[in-house]
Amino acid sequence: MSLENSAKVPVEERLFSLVLALLATENGLTKTEILSTVQGYRQDFAHTGDNANLERKFERDKDDIRELGVPLETVQSPGDPGNNQNLRYRIPRGDYELPTDIAFSPEETTLLNLAAMVWREGSLSAESRRALLKLRSLGVSADEPVLGYAPRLRVRDVAFDPLNAALGRGAYVRFSYLKPGEAEARVRTVAPLALVQHQGRWHLSAEEEGSGIRKTFLLRRIVSRIATTGKTFPAPAADESARALRELEEVWNAHTAVVEVEPGSDAETRLRKRRGTVVDGGTLRLHYSDINIFADELAGFGPEVLVGSPPELRAAVRERLIRTAVDHAQA
Amino acid sequence: MHAQEKLTFLLSLVPFLIERERVSVDEVAEHFAVDPEQIRDAVRLIAVSGVPGETNTYQYEDLFDIAWDDFEDNDQIVLTNHVALDDSPRFSAREAAALIAGLQYLSSLPENADRAAVASLMTKLSRGASANPSPLAVEPTESDVTLGLIRESVAAGTQLEFDYLGARGTRERRRVDPLRVESMDADWYLRGWDHLRGAVRTFRLDRISDPRVSDTPISHHAADVTLPDTLFESSSDDLVVTVDVANSAAALLADYIPDGAVRVQLEGRVRTTVRVSHYHGLKRLIGSMPGVATVVEPAEARRVVAEWAAAGAARYEGDAS
Repeated sequence: MSLENSAKVPVEERLFSLVLALLATENGLTKTEILSTVQGYRQDFAHTGDNANLERKFERDKDDIRELGVPLETVQSPGDPGNNQNLRYRIPRGDYELPTDIAFSPEETTLLNLAAMVWREGSLSAESRRALLKLRSLGVSADEPVLGYAPRLRVRDVAFDPLNAALGRGAYVRFSYLKPGEAEARVRTVAPLALVQHQGRWHLSAEEEGSGIRKTFLLRRIVSRIATTGKTFPAPAADESARALRELEEVWNAHTAVVEVEPGSDAETRLRKRRGTVVDGGTLRLHYSDINIFADELAGFGPEVLVGSPPELRAAVRERLIRTAVDHAQA
Repeated sequence: MHAQEKLTFLLSLVPFLIERERVSVDEVAEHFAVDPEQIRDAVRLIAVSGVPGETNTYQYEDLFDIAWDDFEDNDQIVLTNHVALDDSPRFSAREAAALIAGLQYLSSLPENADRAAVASLMTKLSRGASANPSPLAVEPTESDVTLGLIRESVAAGTQLEFDYLGARGTRERRRVDPLRVESMDADWYLRGWDHLRGAVRTFRLDRISDPRVSDTPISHHAADVTLPDTLFESSSDDLVVTVDVANSAAALLADYIPDGAVRVQLEGRVRTTVRVSHYHGLKRLIGSMPGVATVVEPAEARRVVAEWAAAGAARYEGDAS
């Protein structure tokens, strides 16, 4: 073999070769065995001397592979438990492969294609593209859909990706949070438990460090970068996302407002279609989860809406309208 | 494709090729929705890959191999030797979570009417993941009877009729050839050929009332009309308005700020331009961002917003401050 430079081996070939080698080994391979024999590493391996760069590359590659859901495990050498150099690596085939009894019908494949499509832009688009490739691997052709859909779930909040990452690692996070009505943002340290979208807005369900109180944060009110701490917490027992959605629903159901709407107006047409709205002539009973966000929405409808109750909402909407009028008064 | 996606592609392609035994590059390209040249590159890479083997030197039997003549002459892929990989890989926790959350989001579509079927699909995805799916959830979409009627009219090949409250505040009866249903988070839209305007138009589902499937056959089929990828397209008739928006709220206006718009950072806020088709929409948009977004110019835009807000405030005359 000639002494080729491993830089000529494309990254994906190196990663592919590593996965193949680790799948094929029964007992596992040590780091030295991998770096000296596997395509993409062996070209750069120094038999006598320093392999620090190569070892760092290997560490990054392992992380990249694990992120794809490939179960890359380390096995301690039975006779030599403390010794790092004798750690063996392998990918157990049973944990790598999709269970043989999992198959998807053409209808299910159509639905899954649509489900992947919703994340086309931004966060989770890489994950959904990979999920689609794995789905395609199974060879099922999707049904032609009757109606063309282009659904989109967007994540406009920059906090989403780091929070999702911290969720996966079970790590505490720290951020500044600005609640309406408060002059300054306050720093919060929490254990992130779930990310949910409710009424088109992303929320973080988390447990406050120390007090253990569960809180729900609106991602749009996070005004700093997310700092992920080194401190971790044990994975929760139950499905936190279902619980978080339920709690948001409870809040939604608990808050009702009564508003009058101008007949035939945009406010009437759209507020009537809002979930859970009860219509009584020209009056609507509406649900909401956050009084500030709802007051903003109602203020947008200008004179088409008149808030009857609750009084706090009426005052909040009035205050907003006055503010906007003043801000746009003739110079 | 980034390296991780390329790796996923290779790990997904091999089991597919094993299953199909002999398959053309074009068919594989169509199935995986990638370029045929990417398929050929991937096959060439697979064909020189393998495992170190007993000798640790990648002997012939340790490598994949393909029928080269069939590949080069006929563009057919036949794996004549494969190693290490047999079956498709599991989903990662986040990949499964993305699909599950996507299904939740779409749960009110007519296609998803069978709740039990969707629930069983979600369970299958969880079981097919290498770890518990990430805790991600999306509120199911509001059921809108309009969606069912749109689907009916598409299936029948006939127009959909409805009252539409346009952004100018006028209600008109429209006749539309439905082309595509789109959404942006909680807002759903119908894109169709509008016979009143003689062009493709986008309609918000929550501004549609009294929808009916008509008997009139459509004249514009989805396959014949190219729809742009973006939901809203700017037009040369758009009005350009300068606004100041608080940094923390700028993301809320992102849809209205055109690409390449100049942004000037002021204290705690950014001054930039938004495009709107007319001020009727602008006043509602700015009205819903009190204290965080202000129109700077033109003066007429400011006046429209001021009047709108003042008219709204006037309804509360008499309330104590």
